[in-house]
Amino acid sequence: MKNKKKLSGNYFKDFGTAVAKGDMGVKLSLLVMGAGYFARKQIINGLIMIALEIVFIMTCVFYAAPNLAKFGTLGTVQFEQVFDPLTMTSKVNDYDNSFLILLNSIIALFIIAVFILVYIGNIKAVYRLQVRKEAGKHINTFREDIRALFNEKFHITLLTLPCLGIILMNIIPILVLVAVAFTNYDQQHMPPSALFTWVGWKNFKQLFTNSTTVTFGYSFGKILIWTLEWALLATLTTFIGGILMAQFINNKKTKLPKLWRTLFMVAIAVPQFVTLLLVRNFFADSGIVNTICSNIGLTDFLKSIGLVNSNLTYIPFLTNPTWAKVMIVLINIWVGVPYQMLIATGVLMNIPVDQLESARIDGANSFQIFWKITMPYVLFITGPSLITDFVKNINNFNVIYLLTQDVYVTSDQLLANSNAKEVDLLVTWLFRLTNEYYNYKIASVIGILVFIICAAFTLITFTQTIKGNREEDFR
Amino acid sequence: MKKTVGSIVRHLVLAFLAVIWLVPILWLVVTSFSGYKGINTAHFFPETWSLNNYKALFFEPDSVVQYGAWFKNTLIIAIFTCIVSTSFVLMVSYTMSCLRFKGRKGLMSFGIILNMFPGVLSMIAVYFVMKSIGLTNSHLGMIIVYSAGAGLGYLITKGFMDTISTSLREAAWLEGASEATIFFKIIIPLSQPIIVYTIINSFLVPWGDFVLAKLMLNSGIATDWTIAIGLFNMLNKSLVNKYFSIFCAGGVIVSIPISALFVLMQKFYVEGVTGGSVKG
Amino acid sequence: MKKKVLAAVLATSMVAASLVGCGNEAGGDTSADNSTAATDNSAATTDNSAAATDNSAAADNSAAADNSASSDDPVANLIAATTDTVKLTVWASEEDQTLTTQLLEDFKAAYPDVTFDITLGSESESTAKDTILTDVEAAADVFAFADDQINELVQAGALQPVAATYTYDVAGANAAGAVEAATVNGTLYAYPMTADNGYFMFYDASVFSEDDVKSLEKMVEVAEAAGKKIAMDVSNGWYIYAFFQGAGYELTLNDDGSNNCTWNAAGATDVAQAIMDLFGSNVLVDMGDEEMATAIAEGTVVAAVNGTWRAETASDAWGENYAATKLPTFNVAGKDCQMSSYSGYKLIGVNPYSANVGWSMLLAEFLTNEAAQTARFEARGLGPANTAAAASDAVQADPAISALAAQAAYATPQRVGGNFWAPAETLGQILADGSAGSDLQGVLDTAVEGIMAPIE
Repeated sequence: MKNKKKLSGNYFKDFGTAVAKGDMGVKLSLLVMGAGYFARKQIINGLIMIALEIVFIMTCVFYAAPNLAKFGTLGTVQFEQVFDPLTMTSKVNDYDNSFLILLNSIIALFIIAVFILVYIGNIKAVYRLQVRKEAGKHINTFREDIRALFNEKFHITLLTLPCLGIILMNIIPILVLVAVAFTNYDQQHMPPSALFTWVGWKNFKQLFTNSTTVTFGYSFGKILIWTLEWALLATLTTFIGGILMAQFINNKKTKLPKLWRTLFMVAIAVPQFVTLLLVRNFFADSGIVNTICSNIGLTDFLKSIGLVNSNLTYIPFLTNPTWAKVMIVLINIWVGVPYQMLIATGVLMNIPVDQLESARIDGANSFQIFWKITMPYVLFITGPSLITDFVKNINNFNVIYLLTQDVYVTSDQLLANSNAKEVDLLVTWLFRLTNEYYNYKIASVIGILVFIICAAFTLITFTQTIKGNREEDFR
Repeated sequence: MKKTVGSIVRHLVLAFLAVIWLVPILWLVVTSFSGYKGINTAHFFPETWSLNNYKALFFEPDSVVQYGAWFKNTLIIAIFTCIVSTSFVLMVSYTMSCLRFKGRKGLMSFGIILNMFPGVLSMIAVYFVMKSIGLTNSHLGMIIVYSAGAGLGYLITKGFMDTISTSLREAAWLEGASEATIFFKIIIPLSQPIIVYTIINSFLVPWGDFVLAKLMLNSGIATDWTIAIGLFNMLNKSLVNKYFSIFCAGGVIVSIPISALFVLMQKFYVEGVTGGSVKG
Repeated sequence: MKKKVLAAVLATSMVAASLVGCGNEAGGDTSADNSTAATDNSAATTDNSAAATDNSAAADNSAAADNSASSDDPVANLIAATTDTVKLTVWASEEDQTLTTQLLEDFKAAYPDVTFDITLGSESESTAKDTILTDVEAAADVFAFADDQINELVQAGALQPVAATYTYDVAGANAAGAVEAATVNGTLYAYPMTADNGYFMFYDASVFSEDDVKSLEKMVEVAEAAGKKIAMDVSNGWYIYAFFQGAGYELTLNDDGSNNCTWNAAGATDVAQAIMDLFGSNVLVDMGDEEMATAIAEGTVVAAVNGTWRAETASDAWGENYAATKLPTFNVAGKDCQMSSYSGYKLIGVNPYSANVGWSMLLAEFLTNEAAQTARFEARGLGPANTAAAASDAVQADPAISALAAQAAYATPQRVGGNFWAPAETLGQILADGSAGSDLQGVLDTAVEGIMAPIE
């Protein structure tokens, strides 16, 4: 933290020095951005900067200003339309669309922020040029500048396009949705026909207060717990399952290992959404599995030992909270283990053979070898990716949504009152809130909380990888 | 004697597991040949067999089934998504792995954290961003949506590149090669397994996504859809009883290119993913 | 060639307009006759000409720019004002595509002077709302939807009020219930298309006699003896309403979109108990629509509460024993109550954000006029909302439609806010699977609190 302060201090200090000590060219750059370059005869750089400045000013006037002017209220003019029955045309007033104002304002703010950085960078750059000139050092020609972009500044060349993409598809949408968490954007306030506006922390408060009519707090707690349980179970079961299966198939005593591996791989080849939708119908209350179970008497047996409610004629695979949760985890094993097996196969092939041999000579049986040598090795190799999987499972939309949507009906009335279900993950809940109930405000708050939870887990693991110097160790 | 028993048990267990894994797939395949169009709940194997479902997929397009068009759309989107995504991932991974510049670690952490934000939520904003540049209901729009953020998924590829020895790069550097030359001539050829891994993964995205595609392709015209939306739509309440077996046939067909890809690239895939996940 | 015709039309309607300008109120007819198109439709316009004439003075001013003529025949005005290709998007359900394609061709033929570019998309009537509300501006110009979505669509400003009609009198030609279902707060917002989206009882006449189907308890008894099941999707707010409304407990919509509900009032626990008893028998079973279709086809279910969309399944399965009737009575604490139901209609709406509102309205009228509704019944067996079309013998003879007509006396239009569905679904679920426990009053209280949750 201290470090950062110092850094930002330096950042502005450098800028100050540049302005104070700069010559005419540098000072003129405060106004006309290309001036400093012209002074050093870098005509093309200068022209680019001037063009940039003009484009920016145009953007401000025609795009940023009109939107930002309404940013405080998110629009005041409601959609109105007058239909003239005689000409059969309708006149629409010049209405405000709160969502577009929000979106455009955020893009505008983003552009302005980037421009300020460029602006400061520009002043510093022309000042550096001045210093170089005064010291009698070489000043790059435009061609040399271009060449630098493929050498010492290659990172800029490489990162430009991906960063643009990320800004467009990730950063701006995220900022918009974070902003929505502080508005009353819901079904009563849906643009373009209605306006929404800022409400401060109200939505966050709503999520953490409880009454029988507003049960978001209750649901959030329940769903959060199940989300974490699910992520842990799903990650561990597929991970261990994958290793066991890989170990089993790769064992020398297994004949035709390739054939077996291919058999399991068939399950991956069918797209996930097809298999999941299929399995959902497979295990439906009056589906094929239930027919078979009831024919062979399994349903009655389960009833007699109390696993199935006695007034049911079927096994509620995906319709009873407990059954559904177990089935979801089992089906996820079915879906996920072949993938993990593939990865584990690769890892197991690289196990140092000498260790295994020496253990065998020492008289260890295959179980001991597995737990004492194989497992630690595999864990060491794939440990970090376990956390990635864990976070992916927190956001595992497909499995839960495809298996339970339209099938599972909650019997917890408090959950129902906030449109949640026992088997929901936070992401499927927020998807339902937006997609079926247009409750963007609460969904955004949930989204932010999911984000914080995931980010916390990730940071814990990756700080070691990134902050330390582990990346250099293996070279 | 004991050995053979052990071996038999071992193979029986494997066979049992294989059956579990294959039963739903088998159901998919046999249902796709069913003469009954709805969900068969009484019999595992259809009572009447027919090829009509496949015929309906390819030769009798109606407003619900436009399989040919879907396949074409998805293929086009997948190919371009794959090219753009893979380039982006490689560019970012190389930068983060091999180049050293100010703010690198900050950018890396930022990227990882950004990737944590639940995509289903920001979808609606993505939609309006794309709409304001007029790219909803278009292939180009879908390609951008699927590939623009690909740079964030650099972690595994970077992990793989971290294992490429620095001495190679240093040698090239001494011979006067630019960073660009090193990237294209040394790192890319050496990263073949991880490139294949990235290609497969990005190629598969458009085949499996229905949520984002359904939002972006909202014209209601079936010929604009991708396979995932089309198949998903067949399970709509009002359609499922007429289209379930066609859905199964569609599911079987879509698995063919994907399995082919997997079989062809299996070796690289395993190498890539294990190489990359060594470092997480 | 086309241009010449258009010019002629323009010229004639200009003349007509100048006549009108002189105070000839009846001039409308002349202009309509002169305009080559729309002649066959214009006769029906008279109903509304009153509304149109009121504005005729303003018409001269509002006539947009150079090429539009003003007369008191709006359709002629519209044709005259249309110079470019008219681009329209229409959404109809997947099952309705063939018919709609045909109707669109007829529509184009009815206005030969205008070039249309009409795209037909498929969007199920039952989920149209979800797609439309996500982005109203990107939705189709003309779309079909089920009447339960009308409140939310109106609230989101996604429906153009039917301020005037041009080719037929929408309010007069359709059944009163259908018009009521298309009306919100006194304004007509949509064009009724079918009147068959409600539910009633299908049964296999080889199992039940006509007397049996009068009471649900009797039906359960008979089905139990036959070893068969009766299906109803009670874990669904739409269907569970039949019990509570039938027993006299109310559910109404407030102005702000929240609900008012008395399902926990004194005595309501008897209704809940009745539902639990009925479903506890395991003869009457809670079953979703798709499963029900399969179960009917396989013969395990011999009677079902469902709608016309399952008529085909049922008649295929039961053959000549296929029968349908109004919903039966059920017994609440010793008293027989007639089950109520939601009457359901399919409507066609016009998007107010359409670039061609006028043409969209004409198209919506075309897709819902008597001829179209008759065609829809003939092609798909859907019950017409149009009273003339519904009066035909063929319609009257259809068992499903006559069952709906019998049920109509006990049906109410669907006026309910969004907070109803999830709590009601859960209420149905726990009553049907018997997990409600002994505190029925508590269960009902919680459900009602959820249903009546305030809307901010």
